[in-house]
Amino acid sequence: MTQMDADKPADDGKALTDSAEEASAEAVAVDPKPIEEVPVEEPPSDEPPVKEPPVEQPPAEETVVDAPQISDPRPPTPDSHPGTRLVVIKHHALVRLSHWLNVPILFALIVSGLSIYWASPVFLHKPDPVTHSRDYLADLGIAIARHIPGAKADGFWFYDHFGLGVFNLAGALRWHWLFVYLFLATGFLYILGLLLGGGYRALLPRRRMIADGFAMIRYYAGVVPMKILRRPWEHPHITTKYNALQRGAYASMPIAGALALASGWAMHKPVQFWWLERLFGSYDGARIVHFAVMIYFILFLVPHVVLVLVDGWDTMRSMIVGWSGRIGGSHD
Amino acid sequence: MTEETAEETAGELPERYVDEKKLRRQSRRDFILFGTGAFAALAGLWWIAPLGSKKKVFGEHTADALDTLAARLGATRERSERFQNRALTFDDDIAEALYSPNRTVRTYSKRDITPLRNNYEGRTPSPDYIKEWTLTLTGLASSNDVVLRLPDLSSLAQHEQITRLCCVEGWSAIAGWSGVRFGDLLRAYPPAPGAKWAAIESAVNLDGNGNPDPYYVSIDLPTARHPQTLLATHLNGTPLGADHGAPLRLVAPMKLGLKNIKAITKIAYTVDEPRDFWGERGYSKYDGL
Repeated sequence: MTQMDADKPADDGKALTDSAEEASAEAVAVDPKPIEEVPVEEPPSDEPPVKEPPVEQPPAEETVVDAPQISDPRPPTPDSHPGTRLVVIKHHALVRLSHWLNVPILFALIVSGLSIYWASPVFLHKPDPVTHSRDYLADLGIAIARHIPGAKADGFWFYDHFGLGVFNLAGALRWHWLFVYLFLATGFLYILGLLLGGGYRALLPRRRMIADGFAMIRYYAGVVPMKILRRPWEHPHITTKYNALQRGAYASMPIAGALALASGWAMHKPVQFWWLERLFGSYDGARIVHFAVMIYFILFLVPHVVLVLVDGWDTMRSMIVGWSGRIGGSHD
Repeated sequence: MTEETAEETAGELPERYVDEKKLRRQSRRDFILFGTGAFAALAGLWWIAPLGSKKKVFGEHTADALDTLAARLGATRERSERFQNRALTFDDDIAEALYSPNRTVRTYSKRDITPLRNNYEGRTPSPDYIKEWTLTLTGLASSNDVVLRLPDLSSLAQHEQITRLCCVEGWSAIAGWSGVRFGDLLRAYPPAPGAKWAAIESAVNLDGNGNPDPYYVSIDLPTARHPQTLLATHLNGTPLGADHGAPLRLVAPMKLGLKNIKAITKIAYTVDEPRDFWGERGYSKYDGL
């Protein structure tokens, strides 16, 4: 598709005015992939530039070939492609696999990490005169437990309910090592999936990201008040796979994952990986970064889940099956 | 700007006409895989979750009922333990592969020294034992045991180092240690041929109630021979107190603090891997940093 855009005035507004015949004729000429192609397990055909000139394609194949332009607003054309459906290829199988594997893996890493943290918290304050707690997380647990009928509001509550319990350092370490190797393997699968499926392109920074990001912040800030006021509030027009905020957030995930691994290994093997420990300034520096990355993952998770639920079934389903029915990235 | 937009949005949302039957079949397959995977993940996490956590979160009855069901299906506690311990030994194998005898531990300057806490698990022994203290060496090439007192070690070269002690709990401290190299002791009193391990013991260790509770660690001989592995007699220039393992403790800064055994009373050289106090309590036996 890159080729197609290169010799075409690839302005979105212009593309909208293109005649259907012109666009489909061009697409036929450019994309050599047959429709029987498995949509979920193969890299999108637009990823590498077409090797052979399009004229060399056998005419028999051309009749079954199509790939309309990204911003093409035309509805699926069942008449010209009987028995087929026009879909958007969104996520490579490996990206989907690693995405879902990360759910139990990150859960296990966080709960076991909290039990490890309990053994020697890095963020401490002067002992509380009432609870005797010195640990902010224990304070948080006490604050929560006070509002739960029947709960014992002590310094253990947080770690008993959000971690693998107190006095369970050995068990928690065992979990942490088990899942960190799985996390590492999943990270490789994810990167591989991004490369094979071309999904990495939707994560690369763009020049317009900052301005677009502010437009999205403005939109999100206004969406609830405007709903209450019953005023129209339009979603900014997005032509890319993700809006600027999503792009930034999703692109930061592999970086956060790498940072979690690097700071974790800096603590786990500070002698053999002495250079990693130096990278984080000190041993405690690595602990603080490791903890901060966990907070970042949790902060990411909340809007991530809320927005997927708000966005609807198609978005959720696309992470399971790989394709979306929203043609042209349409946002309804 | 328009050029950038065109180029960078290209290929982000490729569209395809896909055979509907194929699409339906593959989507169904993916949903089945997703459901199976979700169930397997939940079951797997349940299988390896600590009993206490399960009871606290799901209640005693639900936890017991589900555990009984899991055990009937073969997901027993014993198998769970064995599986999780394999994760521990896998990590140990990685650590051992990473270890290089030539890699030295980072040393610090005097002003980096931080307070070192006494992390005796039980009660700190009363200093009375220090007067009668001896160190017994067994498993030697001479096949006779050797009993040493502190002055016997003064013939060996004294070394000083300021290194970080990292505890498995997460805290760490920088301390200045002086004493003799374990490697020098090994040369002075060579172990029997074929020995690969040192089983180091402290008979004066106490449990939480103050009753004798010997502490023991395993140290592989390559680690013992590392130039930064000391049998320390002094902490920050003063003789060790009972709180830090007087009169002789191990300082192996390439191992977690729990291997740095205090108040050593016996060193036995062995062919097979000896037992390790925390290794028997669910922790790693290798503990290499």
